[in-house]
Amino acid sequence: MAPRPQKKLFSRRKSCRFCGDKELTINYKDVKTLRNFVSERGKIIPRRIVGTCATHQRQLCEAIKQARQIAFLPYSGSSQG
Amino acid sequence: MRRYETIVILRPNSGEEEINKVIETTTKIITDDKGSVIELNKWGMKKLAYLIKKETLGYYAYFDFASTPAAVSEIERKFRIDDVVLKYMTIKLAAAITEEGVTEAIAAVSAREASAAAEIEAAETDDKTEVKTDGKTEVKAEVKTEVKAEVKAEVKAEVKDEVKAEGTAVVSKETTTEAKKEA
Ligand SMILES: [Zn+2]
Repeated sequence: MAPRPQKKLFSRRKSCRFCGDKELTINYKDVKTLRNFVSERGKIIPRRIVGTCATHQRQLCEAIKQARQIAFLPYSGSSQG
Repeated sequence: MRRYETIVILRPNSGEEEINKVIETTTKIITDDKGSVIELNKWGMKKLAYLIKKETLGYYAYFDFASTPAAVSEIERKFRIDDVVLKYMTIKLAAAITEEGVTEAIAAVSAREASAAAEIEAAETDDKTEVKTDGKTEVKAEVKTEVKAEVKAEVKAEVKDEVKAEGTAVVSKETTTEAKKEA
């Protein structure tokens, strides 16, 4: 009997970066960190992809929206237009 | 008293005077209402993530203060009237802050600023030393590669002797160029 191919080849368990690193805080002024959690088009990347926990994704979402309000992050598009 | 933070974006072409005027009126409203400014920071010019009133750049100013909701609404009313202000945002940091809390916060801010200044100084000195060491390693690398190239150019013995004799990078460079010309 041939060995069965491993099922979960690509699913690496993602973990919440904010739970893992206590130094890392969520703040709307910290654009560098927030940039990691928005797509190139400026959309918030869903939790199922970045792997943040529910609590932190909620905080992150709010922070990104505040950063957008004060023009630190775009509402859409990479920089302008 | 509540603790708020306000960020204002001012027109990029507004002068120093206008900027100071906006900041002064804001601080005056806060202090008149028996509040206190914890931190006032001019972040300066920044690129906006999107156009605001057809401007691509904005002058950012940041206030961290303890005040009442009435003062905040007054500040925002003034911002709305003022033509220099492109956009503003106020966020409530804490629902209640005591006098001691304010003094503690001010102390924390000044401590942070002091440490930041010290860090900058340290970084500057570090940079200098780094540059020095980098220069040395680069010179060494250059010498090595040049020596190899010379080996190809079949002037081995001469150049090696010269490098050994002179030692310094500059001289060896000159010799290499000379050697190449000769070759
Ligand atoms: Zn988490």
